[in-house]
Amino acid sequence: MNKTKKMFFLSLLVGMAVVIHIIEGQIPVLFPGVKLGLANIISLFALLVLGWKEALVIVVLRTIISSIYGGGFSVFLFSIVGGLLSNIVMIILYKFFKDGISISSISVCGAIFHNIGQLFVAAVYIQDFKIYIYLPVLLISGVITGFFVGVSVKFLCYHFKDMFAKERRRDDL
Amino acid sequence: MKKGDKIVLMTVLALLVVSFLSVIIYRISYKGKALNAKIIQNQKVLVEVDLEKIDEPKEWMVKGEEGHYNIIRVEKGRIRFIEANCPDLVCVHTGWLSQPGDIAVCMPHNVLVKIEGEKEELDEISY
Amino acid sequence: MKKVTNFVFLLIMIMIPLMACNNQSNKANVIQEEVFALGTIIEFKIYDDDSKKAKEAIDKSIQRIREIEDKMTINKDKSELIEINNNAGINFIYVSPDTFFVIKKASEYSKLSQGAFDLTIEPIVKLWGIGTDNARIPKQEEIDVLLDLINYEDLILDEESQSVMLRKKGQAIDLGAIAKGYAGDEVKRILTEHGIQTAFVNLGGNVVAIGTKVDGSPWKIGIQNPLDERGSHVAVIEVKDKAVVTSGNYERYFIKDGKRYHHIIDPKTGYPAEAGIISSTIVTDQSIDADALSTAVYVMGLEKGLKLIERMENVEAVIITEDNQIYVTAGLREDFKLSNPQFQLLENLN
Repeated sequence: MNKTKKMFFLSLLVGMAVVIHIIEGQIPVLFPGVKLGLANIISLFALLVLGWKEALVIVVLRTIISSIYGGGFSVFLFSIVGGLLSNIVMIILYKFFKDGISISSISVCGAIFHNIGQLFVAAVYIQDFKIYIYLPVLLISGVITGFFVGVSVKFLCYHFKDMFAKERRRDDL
Repeated sequence: MKKGDKIVLMTVLALLVVSFLSVIIYRISYKGKALNAKIIQNQKVLVEVDLEKIDEPKEWMVKGEEGHYNIIRVEKGRIRFIEANCPDLVCVHTGWLSQPGDIAVCMPHNVLVKIEGEKEELDEISY
Repeated sequence: MKKVTNFVFLLIMIMIPLMACNNQSNKANVIQEEVFALGTIIEFKIYDDDSKKAKEAIDKSIQRIREIEDKMTINKDKSELIEINNNAGINFIYVSPDTFFVIKKASEYSKLSQGAFDLTIEPIVKLWGIGTDNARIPKQEEIDVLLDLINYEDLILDEESQSVMLRKKGQAIDLGAIAKGYAGDEVKRILTEHGIQTAFVNLGGNVVAIGTKVDGSPWKIGIQNPLDERGSHVAVIEVKDKAVVTSGNYERYFIKDGKRYHHIIDPKTGYPAEAGIISSTIVTDQSIDADALSTAVYVMGLEKGLKLIERMENVEAVIITEDNQIYVTAGLREDFKLSNPQFQLLENLN
């Protein structure tokens, strides 16, 4: 992909991530703090097809844009730490253990660290670590959504394979 | 299943067990203790009240900057957020708190409601 | 190996917050003493390793309180104050520096509050007899006759000869609303002189907090719930090295035909003050100021009372009105927390 195309693709992904993030915010949660984390689909997808720098850019942009739509600084802080932590974990796992680990496992780890990170920021912010009583529930939800995200990404990659194949052919010409 | 997946699975399971156990221990350590509820805004305790001594339900509005508000309801033995204008409403979804150790948070407004097992100790009463 | 380190790391991450909840108590040597004086129970609580020194300080304080009581009481056979009252309209009476100081302070606060606090209230207080066995509702004529005598401007203070006189016969001074405050300041002085840094004295509801708690945290002082039995509180304030005095309609009163007649008499009407306040608490450095101001604010009502307080430096207040609203002055809000949902916090007056 050339530079313009890459930038275009990247902004498209950011846009999708923001939309997913906002829609997700409207879905009633069963338990406090339980977010489906669907925006992670985009992050993980970007990590697989574009690279780790692009994945981080998407997370940061997605968080900034989403908190403009609602939240403010504390919400921004809350999601940026969760988002970055989760992405860094996924990047490390993908870069170094790619061959020994499946996409779903990477995604589950990302989701879990996303929740742990958020809880940590929240605990520091309100200066009360008792909110860690929500950790078990957040872990379970992390496993479930992480697995779902992993499956979705696999599906996505499968269908994009043709597109990238075509792309490469055109570049070769 | 790859080798890495097994490690992830084991770690996640271990983490789950440990965190559940911790919460259970935490709950047990608080069992049967006082129901002393605190409403905290920006790390400052606004209200501290013994939930067992509440005779009639009461609602408080905690006001913050820029028109932020959370409404908190107390009844005998329990307390909860009932309304707020924060974006995520996590605080309201948390529902009733009625056990020592329970906690509900509104991150965007930095408002926190929790029940502590310790009764407040006063040095003196001015009358 | 990685698994193990991971596991240990996460274990620590979970356990730290849970362990942080344990609070350890800081036990210090406490010397306690209770004594009946100034018509009320006075409690001492001194935190000091040197029990002998603390005991000595308490004994000295009690001695001092008795001295003050002997000079300023009106409930005994004789005292300097009784002598002044007996010589009203007749003679100047030479008094001790203590009595002179307290009368002067009382006179200052009478002026400052424009008579809401009036040290010459004694004749009407005696007429009502609230808190005694002879409590009754006086006839309007009786009150009218005595109201003419209530005037703090009729007090003549002669600084040079340290003597005092009231202009008219029948006039009398009551220092009941301020003497306890003075005693509190004197106790604080004595304890501090003995090198005591952490102590707590309660003179019948007038609280004098010396220093901070042993662990350096502020003292937690409850404010009596005016609608409930003694010991139940509406709010808690945290103070360091301050005097806290509350005046309320629940302290001494009698009920006749369903109406409560309490002991804080409005010098302007001759009836128990009804300015919409049921409790006023003053937090300041000197107990004598807090004592006089809490009565003054009670009589003046929320708006006027607050104006008076805002004019003064380092004086904070918690005022509870009869519709269960609580007003806290700005300087105290950080250290104030509500503890009874029956009461509503007033954000501001506008």
